[in-house]
Parts: sequence; structure tokens; C-alpha cells
Amino acid sequence: MKEMKLFLGPQHPGMSGNASVHMYVDGDIIKRSYLLPGMLHRGFEKGMERHLWVNNISLIPRVCVVEPDTNEMAFAMAVEMIAKLEVPERAHYIRMIILEFARLSIHLMSYGGLGGPTGLYTLMYHAHTDRNTILNIFEKITGHRVYHQYIVPGGVRKDLPVGIEKDMHSFLDDLESRYEEYRDLGINNLSIQARIRDTIMLPKEVVWELGVTGIGMRSAVNKPYDLRKVKPYARYDQIEFDVPVSDYSDAYARVDCKLQEVLQSISIIRQCLIKMPKGDVRVPISKGQAMRWTVPKGYAYACVESSRGEFGYFMVSDGGTHPYRVGVRGASYPQGLLGVEKYLPGTRLDDASLWIDTMGVCSPEIDR
Amino acid sequence: MTNSMSNTEFVTNLVENQYKVLKTEVLDQYQIAFEVKKEDVHSILSLLKTSGWIQLSYLSAVDWIKDNEFEVVYIVFNWDKAVHIQIRTRLDRESASINSVLPIYPGCKYYEREAHEFFGIKFPGNPDYEKQLILENWDDIPPLRKDFDPRQYSDKKFSHMEYKNDFVNKDGKVSKQEAREKRFSDADKLRTGGKK
Repeated sequence: MKEMKLFLGPQHPGMSGNASVHMYVDGDIIKRSYLLPGMLHRGFEKGMERHLWVNNISLIPRVCVVEPDTNEMAFAMAVEMIAKLEVPERAHYIRMIILEFARLSIHLMSYGGLGGPTGLYTLMYHAHTDRNTILNIFEKITGHRVYHQYIVPGGVRKDLPVGIEKDMHSFLDDLESRYEEYRDLGINNLSIQARIRDTIMLPKEVVWELGVTGIGMRSAVNKPYDLRKVKPYARYDQIEFDVPVSDYSDAYARVDCKLQEVLQSISIIRQCLIKMPKGDVRVPISKGQAMRWTVPKGYAYACVESSRGEFGYFMVSDGGTHPYRVGVRGASYPQGLLGVEKYLPGTRLDDASLWIDTMGVCSPEIDR
Repeated sequence: MTNSMSNTEFVTNLVENQYKVLKTEVLDQYQIAFEVKKEDVHSILSLLKTSGWIQLSYLSAVDWIKDNEFEVVYIVFNWDKAVHIQIRTRLDRESASINSVLPIYPGCKYYEREAHEFFGIKFPGNPDYEKQLILENWDDIPPLRKDFDPRQYSDKKFSHMEYKNDFVNKDGKVSKQEAREKRFSDADKLRTGGKK
């Protein structure tokens, strides 16, 4: 059959964000493919150089739309690393609660997103309803629903509001009670399993070649390579949790790991609420008024475990009121660009969007 | 995974015994940085890869315009020893070029393309590094260089919008438009572009 050129995205139920996959297909088998990024390029790295340290706090959550808190955390950690700041103990626990709620919200969203390429939209409605409850909790804590600007260099912006623990517990209990229901609806559903079992494999040998991290890597190498365990930041070393792994990375295994992480996140938040001490939540990063904050000279690379893998900020300061250079390592950069180019050829056309969804390719963080 | 302080010492010994390191910087117990010469980068990276640093986490550059140099940064990671290593090297700004690390870390392919697009550094050995990736039909100097001014570029590229007469205020008060322009020009004084 004649080779044909097709696009997946930027407008497609299986495509998250504004990028498109450019495919050459023969019948419905992909022969060659590559990602076309750049539709969402907003010049963040240049923008950060031209803004004050305090102004950047409102700029960085925009790097990844669905998971802004990991950006704030990595940025804050990089500044703290250069300025050698000690964050108050209570702030560490509040940060962990926020990060785990963010992980819950994005895991639910991407699990619901599985409904797009497989055609089961009910999943999406259920997941988005629960995500909405998380956003309500975020709104009570931070005043914002999506871009919270809550984790700032030196701690968190404000203490938790009184009585928020009740809301958190009631949501966590509710989600946990419906966990099996979620599994039955999605990955235990035979019509979905037919689509996600044994498709779009990520072989173990090529994980290192690509540089894939996060669930994509852990589902292939069968080792708990999670930055929260390997190089604990905040107070993850004082919390007990498991890292779900697998040794056969098909779409099913990756979704399964994602769902198991939901349970782990619930347990982490509960432990944090118990262990959280009282006290201050913020220290200023330098003396004086916020508009004149400076950070000493230095280099740092700070990274956190986002839902898609290692999310890092490389930062250079020349001692001035602005960052000298900020580089963003988007977690989905390897699987989005190199993964699409190398591992989609040979699969079927309708499985391409499953790669985008289960590997968690987020185009805003590729473009920056 | 445990006992990371000795891991950074292990790395320091590993690299400093064999290569001349211009500067070593231990950032914390999980991170260490080496400034090396351009000629040593590839052999150090292959040494690190065979010693377990199999993941290239990040590759980018910094423009030190006052020194007339670019600094290329490679960040590699070992999941078992839990140490991030930064390898930094300086290139001459006028003829910035360094051989690609594609044979050592195949994952660098797109990072190098991006570094070429945003800084203009050449990476011979990477077959695609000159293809455009993110900026479509870019017609100016690479945008992350410090001498590129986005405000100037947008003034040149996109002409100012001309407002219709209806919006011009005639009764002498400060119009919203004028107040907005004044606010913008005041904000310009704060935006010094990285200078103190």
C-alpha cells in the first residue's frame, strides 16, 4: 500500500496539549514518526532571566499546566540550594501534602485521559469529578485552583487554614473507598484490556538510551528508582511508602503502577498530617524588601519526582536581583521526542495516542 | 543509595585521579560539579557512563557574555549511587562548537538540537543538530543569548497597534490608555535584564 502522511494532534482526544505527532503510515502500521513541538513555546527560560526572583514565582507554575506544584517545588529547591537556606520543618510537611495532592490530581486526570484513546469517556467523567474535589481543597489552602504559587523559595506562602484536615480526610476516605471501583471501570475492564495489554512496549534495554524516568522507567526495570526514595527531598525519608514497579512495560503495567501510586499518595498525606509539627512556615530568602531580593552566586540543579519522572531546574545566579539562567528539564522530554521517534514505528496507528497518554507526555514542558 | 557523602568522594577520586579538573564544587550530598577543559569532556563522560552514570538528565548552555564564552553543562545521574554530576566546560563565544556526545548518551539528540537553536552552539557528530525544532522560521540571533532583546525584537517584528479616535480622551483627564502606558514605562525601569 502507498505510504501516507498523517498527523495526530494538536486537536485530538488522545493528545494532551498542543503538540502533534507526524506519522508516515502504511495501512494502519506506523512506519516513521516524530513529534512536532513548538506550538506552545512561550519563552519561559528567557522570561525568567528578565524577571525578579519574587516575580518568577508567578511565572513558573505555567511551565506545566496540569502539574504546577512540582515546578514550584523544583524552583524553590534550586534557590534554596544556592542560597543555602534551611526551610522550617512544618513547611516541609505542608509541601509534601501539596505535592502528593498534585500527584493524586494528575494521576486521576491521566487515568481519566485513558478514556480518550480507548473510547470510554465514563472514566474521564469520574476522574474529573474527583480532581475537582482536589481543586476545591487547593482553593481553600492557596486561594487558587490551578496555578497555586504556594510553594515559594524559603517555605510556603501561608500556613494551612484551620479545619482543612477534615476536608482532606473526608476526600481521602472517599477516594480510597472507591478505588476498586476505579480499577473495575478502567484496567479490569476487558474491552480496555484488549487495547492496553501487550501494546506499545518500552523494552528494558532502551530505557537508559532514552533517558526515560518516572513510571515509564520503573515499569520496565523492576527497581524502585523514585527520586523520593533515591535522593529524598523535603521529609520523604521520614515517611513510609512503597514504590510500585513492574518488569514488563506495556500500557497496562504503566497504568497499573499509576493506580498503585494513588494508594501510596493517600497514605503519605495521612502520615504527613499526623507527623506535621507546629511552627513557622517561611523564611525570607534574603534581607529587605521582596523586590530587592538577591541570591548569592552559584549553580544548582534541583529535581523532584513528578508524576512523569525527574523534573529538574538548572539554575545559575550571578548574585543579582534576577536569575542569570534558568533551564527546565521537562520530565516528558525524552519519551516525548526521542520515544515517539524510536518506539512508535511498528505499532498501530490508534496505539500512538496510548503512548502519549500512558508515558505522560506533556507538551507545555517540552516547549517551555 | 545510602551513605551518599562517601559517594561524592568516590566521584571526586574517580575523576580527579585521571583528569585535570579546573574546579570541583560539592553542592550537597547528592550533587557535585566539575569544571573541565573542552578536550576532556568526552572521555570523562564515557568514564562516568562505564562507572554507572548511565542517564543523561540535562544538557544545556549558559551565555557568559562578559567573558565572551559559552558554558556547556552536562548533568548525568546514577540511580544506585544517587549522585548528580555536572560537567561544565567553556567554549569560545565566536566559534562555539563541541563534538556531539551522541555515541555516549543517545538521549542527547534533542537536547543538542535545542542548545543549537537557542544559543547557536554547533554539535558536529549529531546529524540533525541544525534542523529547527521549536522556533519556526526564526530570523534573528539565537534567542537565549544575552545580547538578544525580546522587546526590541517584537517592536521590530510587529508594528504598534494604532488606536481609533474613539479611544482618545479629549477632556484633559488622564485616559486609561495613558495610565497604562505610564505604568509600562515605569515597569521598564525595573526590568534591567539581569544587570544589578
